[in-house]
Formats: sequence, structure tokens, C-alpha cells
Amino acid sequence: MTGNGFLIFLMAFLFLFLGYLGVPVAFALIAGVLVVTSFTPISLPSIMTQLFNGMDVEALLAVPFFLLVGELMTAANVTARMIKLSQALIGHVRGGLAQVVTVFSMFFAGISGSSAADVAVLSRSLGPDMQREGYDMAFTAALIASASTMANLIPPSIMAVVYGATGNVSIGGLFLGGVVPGLLVGIGLMIYSHFFGPIGVMRTRSSLGEVTDAMKGAVVPLVIPIIIMGGILSGFFTPTEAGVVAVAYILFVAIPLLNRGYLKQLPHDMATTGLLYSIPLITIAAASAFGWMLAYLRGPAVVSGWISSAAGNDPFMIMLLLVALFIIVGDFIDAIPAIIIFMPIIADLTKNADINPVHMGVVIIVTLAFGLITPPYGIALLMASKFIGVRFGKAMFASFPIYIVFLATIVFCIYFPNVVLWLPKHFLPESVGCFKNPSAAGYICP
Amino acid sequence: MALCGLAITGFTVSVMCDVITRMAKSPWLWLQEVTMTFFIYGVFFGTAAATRRNDHLYLAALAESMSGRKRMLFEIFNRLVVLGVALSMIWFGYLNFLDGFRSLRMPSMTPLASLYAAIPMCGVLVALFVIEQLVNGCKNGFAEPAATAKTP
Repeated sequence: MTGNGFLIFLMAFLFLFLGYLGVPVAFALIAGVLVVTSFTPISLPSIMTQLFNGMDVEALLAVPFFLLVGELMTAANVTARMIKLSQALIGHVRGGLAQVVTVFSMFFAGISGSSAADVAVLSRSLGPDMQREGYDMAFTAALIASASTMANLIPPSIMAVVYGATGNVSIGGLFLGGVVPGLLVGIGLMIYSHFFGPIGVMRTRSSLGEVTDAMKGAVVPLVIPIIIMGGILSGFFTPTEAGVVAVAYILFVAIPLLNRGYLKQLPHDMATTGLLYSIPLITIAAASAFGWMLAYLRGPAVVSGWISSAAGNDPFMIMLLLVALFIIVGDFIDAIPAIIIFMPIIADLTKNADINPVHMGVVIIVTLAFGLITPPYGIALLMASKFIGVRFGKAMFASFPIYIVFLATIVFCIYFPNVVLWLPKHFLPESVGCFKNPSAAGYICP
Repeated sequence: MALCGLAITGFTVSVMCDVITRMAKSPWLWLQEVTMTFFIYGVFFGTAAATRRNDHLYLAALAESMSGRKRMLFEIFNRLVVLGVALSMIWFGYLNFLDGFRSLRMPSMTPLASLYAAIPMCGVLVALFVIEQLVNGCKNGFAEPAATAKTP
């Protein structure tokens, strides 16, 4: 092993060893970097600059806003209206409540960029009803965890913000690119629940009047995705600004209209969100210092060399190998540090194989979203099993068939880039490398 | 916690003002500096508060599955690692802070040190909270991490 190879191994070992011992991820990452830096000519204070640089990115400001949107909507109990709408639309089909979980997750994903919020809301609001109707607890936990991953695919997605901010990829393009896999996962879960899930209690179909009433009730929260995506697509707002406009809409329109009593609790929830956003962001800062040191030790060049030598310049093979790498990585470390640590490798391979960066980003994000339900570090599944009150092992076993939905979606995204990039090409052409036609209207796309 | 709330309120208001002044066609360029200041300080103060509440992101807490003396040793070791990192943040962060006087933020020309100061300040708070946990933990036992779920 070369000197650099040993240092990379030492840094990774220290991170994983300390992390699995119970040291917080951010501190385990920094500890690994500091120890390894002392064996290099780099000065230790410069690592502090790297910590700082990791979060001094304007686009990352969107993270707290999208977390705040989810928190405010959940805390103000506005989500009940969206659950009612989902029940009116789909509650009558086989496995009614299971279908409601998926449809609600699609709606909620358009508001919150966080799976954690989705799992918490679903487990508390629909979990007890599903148990009352005889749904297996392990199935309930597996379905809720799987459905919550759509928050990372359907815009606004915090993973997309982090990927775009650190990889210099259009966040708007990633948002739009995530819609197709998000819908595919949703449809896949609905098909699975219909044919292989429990029957549940069969309900009568809601009348048109009931559906209209439910829609009227949910219209205020459902304007939020329109504000966010409309602002970004029209070029009027950056993702950060779209996030803050959505927050303003909730504070000044949604809450006064739907739950005025909640305003007393607002200062407490602002403080809680202030704490919550710092947790992923300090991890981003630590991971960017880790990634910077990895790049200094030429780790990305070595790994991308291995992948290139195995896959040549075949973009599909490169993507498949990266997916395999990220499935393994996602099993052991969280998605956000994984994106930042491995970004130099991804960027290198994307450039060498001439892959569209938005396409690559979408594939990586879907793979990392899948990692949220795979053991041992399937955080969404861990949370869901804890909330529902079932052993993690049982929930994991129940989620195995659902893996097929995710794997099929990943393979589809790899082999059908035109479908994945269809929305970005039409609504945000510059995000996928299209440029204005100099001699006629419209865009020329590579 | 209150400082975290203040920081998120501060940068929410400053981004809102940024959008409004831009729409009014007289943008205040310094607002972006204010926003980043609230944001960076919010992250570092939040990190310290999360340390006190055991609210950080964890890969796994092996110590949780243990009991008695073995658990005590693991918990103490984990906190000593965090304390070591916090002390590094104080000292190397301080050196970095001094270095920050040589760079300026645009357009206000404020030294970058005004932002770099957040790192040693965070280190001091984390170190204090970890020492508090060590003292309380040795007396009364260690509390379990509150959550492993602050993740997208």
C-alpha cells in the first residue's frame, strides 16, 4: 500500500470505527481528518478553513428553509387535510390505507425535502389506523419508510440541494429530474401494495362532492409546491429564495387560515428547526473537509481509475458501478456525507464518460434514497420501525420485496436518460446543457 | 437553543428582505453578508446545542447495547474524542481566526475573521457541554442519544 493509500485507509477506518462506536458523525469525520493531516505537510488551521468553506455556499441556505417548511406544516397539523384528500382519492381501492400512505407521501414530498418529517407524520397519523385495520406492523413500517424516500426525489429535495451545491450542478435541473423516479417509486409502491399487500378494510368510493371538499381543504398547503417550483422554473427565485417565500406563505397565509392557535408555539418551533438544520450542515462541513483531504491524497483519482478501467468509457457501465458503490456506501454512512465525500469521484467520472451531470445526479440521489431503507444504516426504516413499535429486523424483512421497486427505478433511470431529463429539457433547458439557438427560436440540446 | 432560533429567524428575515429589495429594483447587497453571518453562526451554535442534547447524527451507538462498567468506558471514550475535536477547534480555529484578518468580505470589507470566529466559539461551547456530560455521566450514568434521525 502506498503512503497515500495507507492515509486514506487510516482516515476511513477512524471515521467508521469512531462513528460505529457512537461518536457523532461530524466529530468522527473531523477526528479522522485531523489525525491524517498531522502526517501531511498541510497545516491544521487550514482544515478549519475547509470546515468553513464546506458550508459557505449560498445554495445550502435552502436546506434550513425546506426543513422549516416541513416542520411548520407538520407542527401546525396542516398535514391532516392532505391525508383526507389522499383518502378521498384512493382510500376505496384494495389496501386502501397503504395506498393512502403512498399518495400522501407524494403530496408531502412536494412540500418537505426531508424523509424524516415524512416518516414522523405518517407513523403518527396513519400508523395506528393501519394497525387497527389489521395491517401487519412490519409491512406498515416498511411501506412508510419506503414511501418517505420520495421526499428526496420529488422536489424540493434536500439531497438535490446538497448535490447541486457541492457538485456545481443545476439544483432546478435536479429537482425536475427527480420527478420521474419519484413517481416511478410511488407507482411501484402502489402496485406492490395492491397485489402483494394486505387487503385492509374495503371502503366505498368517495363521491365527487367529498373529493371536491377534500381538495378545497388541501388547496392551501398544495400551493406550496407551485410556489417553489414555479418560482425556480420562471427564473424568478433561486431555490433558497423559493424556500423562504414558501416559509413566508406558510407563516402569513397557511397558518393564519388553517390553525391560528399554532402561532403561540412558533418561537419554540423556530428554535427547534434552528437546531435541526445545524445537524446536517455541520456534517456537510465535516464531510467536505474529509472529501478535500481525500482529494489531496488523490483518492478520487484512484477510485475513478478503478471504475474507468473496469467500465471503459461506457456511461451505462460506469453508472451501474457507481450505483453498486453507492449501495454499499449508503449501507454504512449517511447520504449527505456520502455525496460530499464522493463528489470528486462522481465529477471525474461524469466528465470522463460525457454523462449529463443532472442525469448522473438523479441516479445517485435515487440510489442514496434507496439506502434509507437498506440495513444496517437504513435510517428511514430505523425511524419507522421505532415509531410503529416493531423490531428493525422484522421491518427489514418486510421491506425486501420493496427493494425490487427501487432497483427497477434505478435501472430505468440509468438506461432511459431521455425520460429522466425530459422535464428539465422542457422547463429548464440550460440546466441540462442546452443552449439558445442563435438563428431561430428554441434551444439546441446535446 | 434560543441562539439557534435567533439565527434562523435572522437569516429568514434577511433573505426575505433580499427578495423584496430586489423586486423593488433597489437591492441591498450587504444583506447577503448578513444572511451568511446568521447562517454560519447558527450552524456552529446549533452544533454545540446538539452536542448538549445528544441530538447529533450517529452511525450507530454501540455503547447503547451495553451496560455497566463497559458502557461507562465506551461513553467516556466517545466524549473524550468529541472533547479532543472541540479542543482542536478552539486552538486551530483560533489560529485560523487570526489568519482571517488578512482577507476581507465584499462589499462591506469586514475581515473574514468575523465569520471564522464561529469555529473556536463553537469549540468552547462543545468542550464545556462535553465536560458537563462527563461529570454528570460519571455521577449519574449517561443518557442515550435522543435521535439518530436528523437526516433528509
